[in-house]
Amino acid sequence: MSSDVLASADAQARDAAPRAAEPGRSAAPRRRPTAILDAALRGVRRALPPLVVLVVVLLAWQAITRWGDVPRYLVPSPTDVASAARDNAPDLLTSLLTTTREAVTAFVVSGALGILGAIGLASSRTIERSVYPYAIVLQTIPVVATAPLIVIWFGASITSVVVIAAIMGFFPVLSSTLTGLRATDHRLTDLFALYDAGRWQTMWRLRIPAALPYVVSGLRVSSTLAVVGAIVGEYIAGIGNGEAGLGFAITQSAIRLETPYLFAAGIAASILGIAFFQLVNGLSRLLLGSWHESEMRVER
Amino acid sequence: MSTPVRTAPPVSATAADPDAAVVALDGVGKTFANGTAALADVQLEVAPGELVSFVGPSGCGKSTVFRLIAGLADPTRGTVSVMGTSPQRARRDGSVAYVFQDPTLLPWASVRDNVALPLRLRGDGRRERAAAADRALELVGLDGHERDLPRQLSGGMRMRVSIARALVSRPRLLLMDEPFGALDEITRQALQGELLRIWRQADDMTVLFVTHNVFEAVYLSTRIAVMAPRPGRIAAALTVAEPYPREAAFRTSPQFSAAVAEVGAALHASALPAGASAPATEADRVQ
Repeated sequence: MSSDVLASADAQARDAAPRAAEPGRSAAPRRRPTAILDAALRGVRRALPPLVVLVVVLLAWQAITRWGDVPRYLVPSPTDVASAARDNAPDLLTSLLTTTREAVTAFVVSGALGILGAIGLASSRTIERSVYPYAIVLQTIPVVATAPLIVIWFGASITSVVVIAAIMGFFPVLSSTLTGLRATDHRLTDLFALYDAGRWQTMWRLRIPAALPYVVSGLRVSSTLAVVGAIVGEYIAGIGNGEAGLGFAITQSAIRLETPYLFAAGIAASILGIAFFQLVNGLSRLLLGSWHESEMRVER
Repeated sequence: MSTPVRTAPPVSATAADPDAAVVALDGVGKTFANGTAALADVQLEVAPGELVSFVGPSGCGKSTVFRLIAGLADPTRGTVSVMGTSPQRARRDGSVAYVFQDPTLLPWASVRDNVALPLRLRGDGRRERAAAADRALELVGLDGHERDLPRQLSGGMRMRVSIARALVSRPRLLLMDEPFGALDEITRQALQGELLRIWRQADDMTVLFVTHNVFEAVYLSTRIAVMAPRPGRIAAALTVAEPYPREAAFRTSPQFSAAVAEVGAALHASALPAGASAPATEADRVQ
């Protein structure tokens, strides 16, 4: 084997990376102000189409409710909703904070239990085979059926709401993580076996990191379910007074036919859900950004 | 690689002799649970410092032989002994390493962490690991890439990382299962050269190499085991007499062509029932 063949192959391989990175790196300092402007323009351009749709829908909605003779208690106009939100801002904010607290707690609890449960199930086939069917059975019982029982056990309290929301968010994390832990590349498992890795070494150094994309997708589902679960829990627990969450605000305003406020609370709930979802997306980017296909930005 | 200090192989009645075979297969057979006879009566002894290639068509049990030697599977007949003991015990102190067909790197770990994995799994300290990993990376010409992630590397570079990982524990036996099969020809030839250099530098390292490329086998090996399918067996073992270092000129020499022809003939003979003439398609596929 001649060394020049070696050298050229090496040179090719080594050159490839810097050359690819060069244009962006050298271009940035030279035209920095324009680059920032470009980025801002690109952001506006991306945000513009959905914004236009939003404005059009709001205007149409406003027009229909104003001139279409629709009663306010059936469909309030956007301005009605806005003024209802403004007039009851302190209440709305308290409700939003309460529901946020419940949803965050439920999400953390369901995420932790789901991940730990999956690791427990995946560490032994026997445990998995004997316990997992019951996890599925539990999942098929509607929360609406178990919720009153939980309220009996934990009282009409925030605890009940958190438990209900956590039950809703638990299963997606459990099943998705378990799938991930089972889907480890068998060649890597062979490699670990060859180096006599212990069961926990294989779990900790191979199976858990390899399952992270699955964990994240489970968390993504459970993040939205935690918000839904918190609101459903509030419906059922029916806590009022200073502890009222968005779910309670929605039921109350429905009873009183305060439709504009109902809309405002509903929109607040949906904003909370979106924020949650984005939070998990950020987490996903943090965990997988450097190595997993789902989070890699491919340049074309 | 500096001269490695090698611990004595695990105590065993037959391991006392340093010239004892590194790998000894004695009447080895393997029948899978579904009844498929993957291997039948395989007989082979490999001496320290040899580079033995296994060639043969797909399904001739090359990979199964390797799994037995690595201790990832057990034979259903006969005995497999590695460095005078069982494969499972031989590999315990890191003296057996394996390079797979794919680089099989952890995508989330840096090149250095990937290379240091065998040391981490056996509990070496952080500084020790980093030093050994960097030395192995230098050996395969990847110094400067310690912090890269696998996806930032080309296919050939990933395979180098995989080789560095195998070398990091200073193995006495290196098992390579079609390591260069997925690479382009230039990269493949470069890595063949590197492998020979590393093998010659390492003191008495034995390499077993699976390939279905006859040219690759002839270029690399001291000996070639020609395997035949249904059931898998070693049909012939041929010695390649050419001395090392083998230059690029060897690839175009008459000796090279002669060796290739010899291996090719052995492959044909083994693939056929006695007396029949070789079908052209089979020959094309093998070569």
